[in-house]
Amino acid sequence: MGKEKLKKYIPYTFIFPALLLLLVFSLIPILVALVISFTGLDITGLGNWSTVKFTGLTNYIQLFNDPTFLQSIGNTIFYVVLGVPLVVFLSLTVAVMINLSQNKFFKTMRLLFYTPSITNTVAVAVVWSYIYNPSLGLLNEILGKIGIAPIGWLTDPNVAKISLIILAVWKAIGLNMLIFLAALQGIPRSLYEAAELDGANFWQQTLHITIPSMRFSIFFVTVTTIIGWFQFFDEPFVMTKGGPLNSTNSMALFVYQNGFQNSNFGYAAAGSFVMFAVIIIATLIQFKLQRKQRGEE
Amino acid sequence: MKFKRVASLLGALLVGAFLLAGCGSNSSNNNSSSNKPLTFWYAGDGDADVKPMIKQFTKKTGIKVKIQSIPWSQYNDKLLTAASSKSGPDVLLIGTTQIAQFASSNSLMDLSSTVKKDQNLAPSKYFSGSEKTTMYQGKYYAVPWYAETRVLYYRTDVLKAAGYNQAPKTWNQLYDAALKLSKRGKNMYGFNVDGSEPTFGFMFARQNGAQLMKNGKTQFNSSQMVSALNYLHKFIQNGASPKQDLKLTIAQSFGKDAPIPMFISGPWMMSSIKSDAGLKDSQWNVAELPKGKNNTSVMGGGDLAVFQYSKNKTNAIKLLKFLSKKQSQLTYYKQSDSMPTLKAAWNDSSLQSSKIQVFRKQLNHSQPMPAVKSWDEIGQNYLDVWQKIALQNANVQKSMNEFNKQSQTLIDK
Repeated sequence: MGKEKLKKYIPYTFIFPALLLLLVFSLIPILVALVISFTGLDITGLGNWSTVKFTGLTNYIQLFNDPTFLQSIGNTIFYVVLGVPLVVFLSLTVAVMINLSQNKFFKTMRLLFYTPSITNTVAVAVVWSYIYNPSLGLLNEILGKIGIAPIGWLTDPNVAKISLIILAVWKAIGLNMLIFLAALQGIPRSLYEAAELDGANFWQQTLHITIPSMRFSIFFVTVTTIIGWFQFFDEPFVMTKGGPLNSTNSMALFVYQNGFQNSNFGYAAAGSFVMFAVIIIATLIQFKLQRKQRGEE
Repeated sequence: MKFKRVASLLGALLVGAFLLAGCGSNSSNNNSSSNKPLTFWYAGDGDADVKPMIKQFTKKTGIKVKIQSIPWSQYNDKLLTAASSKSGPDVLLIGTTQIAQFASSNSLMDLSSTVKKDQNLAPSKYFSGSEKTTMYQGKYYAVPWYAETRVLYYRTDVLKAAGYNQAPKTWNQLYDAALKLSKRGKNMYGFNVDGSEPTFGFMFARQNGAQLMKNGKTQFNSSQMVSALNYLHKFIQNGASPKQDLKLTIAQSFGKDAPIPMFISGPWMMSSIKSDAGLKDSQWNVAELPKGKNNTSVMGGGDLAVFQYSKNKTNAIKLLKFLSKKQSQLTYYKQSDSMPTLKAAWNDSSLQSSKIQVFRKQLNHSQPMPAVKSWDEIGQNYLDVWQKIALQNANVQKSMNEFNKQSQTLIDK
């Protein structure tokens, strides 16, 4: 009996430290932030709690009347809608191509595509700001050579978002490619051999064997990428600060600006909960779709 | 993943605040802890800039001091964490624009009585603009330590070629010179209307006689401020200034042909120009700002404060007084190029070069931005409004009416 009980509790002792960390550094702060999102906490309130007023839903109501926040939501959706399919498609393509062979060239390419992912975003963003520089950047220099007028990569409100997406996609391909590669290598060779015997060509094999066998890894990459892109932060933070004309501001950056630059902690907390809700909803929809797909087969 | 850093910062800040909210008030300044080393927070490279001075202090008083160097870019986050956890340094360097915020969060010790008692710290010894940065709601929360003010940088040779033997002295001259210089060719400008400097429009408004705030009410849609912004807008409309930041290095914008031969900036540009622009000393100069109705510049810099929750306030004040001495300010100037706030220090031989003396004169006509805790946010909002004016030709009066209303809401909150 005692042994039984011990057996039951042992697993908990193993996960206890992780749970404790999760509790102290994630769950409690999230709860605290939830409470704060209903108050008008600002820098005065930090020093003197008695001045903090409970404001109910004011922050949330104000948020949805704040053109800057609404624009940030719009921008974030733009990032997700354009960026996520690009990342999934491109990293899958790269993975399939790299998987064609195991020789030195392909191994080098694998390394090359992976390098951006292990480089610090801030460092990458600084280098890309040079590339995008309107007057002396690499891109405009090349465009100038072939007679095209310079483009305001980061200074034109219509182009800046796309410039940031290009950078983020370039950076995201590596890691996802690696996940796809692992999945690709797990597909039994016998399937391809059978298909070859039946006379299927490369495209037919890719469409009917490779992609269906990778359904789970595609799902995984899509979910993590969507979550990551909803939290789009580093690129606009380092390169544009949300400008020009707020055209590159994202929800995460909006929260940062309000929380850490303007010290409107209550307002920022409310913003972060809206973001939280959006991400949860997006992820739930994904899970639903996934389950539906499985149910059909 | 990307956002985790921010989330965890916010989390740590808030949890820290809750856990420590109770214990903070236990701090007292009993003298038994006087042997404990003081902690001094410095924004920048403390080893190079202040260590020699601190060593002297330790030698003289036997009080040990730990210097903690924090980059300016992270300084505000660090101060926020200290303010919410109520644990931090004993003495700290604080940006002049941060005083209102951290005084309102009750993180800085009220130094009014110290300032009144000590002749050396008397407000009259400092530039009036510097002294104002240390004051919040009628009390002193810091002592001025180093001063920064904006002056006009210009290329003497380029202006001479265009027929100007000296820097423009009035708004009209500035505009005429800028317009003429912009006619030198394609991608050439005369002056930079700085679209990324949150004080820029306010500075010109003051020069036009505007009062930014009256009895706690913002006055950003006053006729003086609107006409000042219209004046700046004229530079952009007529191609005398670039519309937005061209992201040029100083060598590209100010060196050689100088696409931007005139701009307004602070003393930190001096060393960049000397080391990076590739110019002879005679090819460029600085001048006091051109006059509208006056030529008020923006006072900035750093002040020294004592942390409210320091357990060793007696020694902290000793260190603060030591660093505020004329000799210390001069040593600090020599180590870091940060200009003294004590008027008397300016008689020293190290500050007599003609370029430096221009700053000295401008310091007499420099005022900080109003000491309001939400000023940072107002400044950021101003940049957004200005972008709409500069890039989309938004109506200035209408934009400022709206901006004024928005700012008043922030202040009343």
